[in-house]
Amino acid sequence: MSAVLDPHGHASHDEHGDHHDHAPTGWRRWVYATNHKDIGTLYLLFSFSMLMIGGLLAMLIRAELFEPGLQLVNPELFNQLTTMHGLIMVFGAIMPGFVGFANWMVPLQIGAADMAFARMNNFSFWLLIPAALMLVLSFFMPGGAPAAGWTIYAPLTLQMGPSMDMAIFALHIMGASSIMGSINIIVTILNMRAPGMTLMKMPMFSWTWLITAYLLIAVMPVLAGAITMTLTDRHFGTTFFNPAGGGDPVMFQHIFWFFGHPEVYIMILPAFGIISQVVPAFSRKRLFGYASMVYATSSIAILSFIVWAHHMFTTGMPVTGQLFFMYATMLIAVPTAVKIFNWIATMWQGSMTFETPMLFAVGFIFVFTMGGFTGLILAMAPIDLLLQDTYYVVAHFHYVLVAGSLYAMFAGFYYWSPKWTGVMYNETRGKIHFWSSLISFNLTFFPMHFLGLAGMPRRYADYPMQFADFNMVASIGAFWFGLSQVYFFFWVVLPVLRGQGAKAPQRPWNDPDGKGAEGLEWEVPSPAPFHTFEVPPRLNATATKILDTQVSPQHH
Amino acid sequence: MTPEQKKQNLRTALILASIAAMFFVGIFVKIVLLGH
Repeated sequence: MSAVLDPHGHASHDEHGDHHDHAPTGWRRWVYATNHKDIGTLYLLFSFSMLMIGGLLAMLIRAELFEPGLQLVNPELFNQLTTMHGLIMVFGAIMPGFVGFANWMVPLQIGAADMAFARMNNFSFWLLIPAALMLVLSFFMPGGAPAAGWTIYAPLTLQMGPSMDMAIFALHIMGASSIMGSINIIVTILNMRAPGMTLMKMPMFSWTWLITAYLLIAVMPVLAGAITMTLTDRHFGTTFFNPAGGGDPVMFQHIFWFFGHPEVYIMILPAFGIISQVVPAFSRKRLFGYASMVYATSSIAILSFIVWAHHMFTTGMPVTGQLFFMYATMLIAVPTAVKIFNWIATMWQGSMTFETPMLFAVGFIFVFTMGGFTGLILAMAPIDLLLQDTYYVVAHFHYVLVAGSLYAMFAGFYYWSPKWTGVMYNETRGKIHFWSSLISFNLTFFPMHFLGLAGMPRRYADYPMQFADFNMVASIGAFWFGLSQVYFFFWVVLPVLRGQGAKAPQRPWNDPDGKGAEGLEWEVPSPAPFHTFEVPPRLNATATKILDTQVSPQHH
Repeated sequence: MTPEQKKQNLRTALILASIAAMFFVGIFVKIVLLGH
């Protein structure tokens, strides 16, 4: 066992006993949580709950689209379902999910005792609960939930019922939560790394989160501005987005996508970080091109600020503008390709094994790359004019958000859950979950490319007979995918949460000769004790192993 | 942190929270009283 877990100098204070390893119990442990691991767990559970709610809405959407005609929901409710599915998945499931991973893993990876602002961390999480309640319960308000699409475009938002105000407040609160979370992550990474953990030795997951946190701080206030203008347009007589008073609805789109495009990278960069941890571990090699990974991540982040109008080619734009945004968008393929190349080069001639985390990582690389390629196709302005708002776009962003972000989170869960819970998940069930998800995901979203190319528009409750077959296939795939996640929760997650399964060793992914997962999180036992790295550890030259803890003199 | 700083922080937090609450409650009062 690592000396890190020793109660250090506190051993000399006998009157305190081992109080430092004693976790608070009962509801106080969670409501007053300041421990990064507990808050990480809360974030992950919240994220999964929202995934289930958002998934339920997706099932309703796919049930309605199972065959032509209106069967289950009216068009108004259908629009509410698509809007709320998007908002809940983006702001409730994916973003908090990655913050949960950051809370758990960043302090462990950099050798810090906790997050820099532990109480603000608690506040960041608990703000999410009222926000989520406001969002979800808006279904029961007069006129139903917001139905303007997750992009909440004006002028639709100016015409909606009171639930739009609820959504605006919910987004404000979630934005505040994200900004506080980001400040916490940046300060933790910049100020609390263990001695010897230089920035260029830091694990990729922490690196990607550092960059993501800067992106969040830069763009969440922009979203807050856009929705505040919407609020004042709705209630206080301003006309920012109303042409009758000299405003312009297209301006909303510009402001929204100045937030929205970096937001896309906020949802994928931490995923890149997780994959960059998993691939080397199961290839028994160090990550190929570490420095280029850092620079590629930074390049993607910087470029994300100058491509927003590729979401708006059809609003009417000078050709010069179209060319600029088209080429800038295509430029992002370069650093992204660097990353894909590095992952493959890491695997090249590695001593690979394919446990569930690696399966999800390889699945991620394969399927995410397909989403990346359709992104390149959509980046071309002349093609985008044809494919704008069709199912081709729906297929594209589900390939990068589900097979990208969500798969990476699954990879991360399977990879780190032995460290979190102290038990190994059931490998067979993990593999069933992977293959079931992979097949059903492609069954759901691959036909949507064909639907889009054939001209089926998104956000419609009904469609002509010509689209019937592919829609039926997509709906069957969607129900299968949804059930796969229910299987994941009840047959994989719940057992490990209850401690059922083989006891996890400290380094579950290492060969007998010690090759495998590297990093400080594997230097503490499984499960990770309540308090870790209370005294900064002394690290080896690569900052991947602990040589000794800097224990206080009286301990010797 | 001194008790005085803590008090100042609490005051700032309450001022900010009351502004947010004013907007939140105000808008719904407006909807109820003025129709929309």
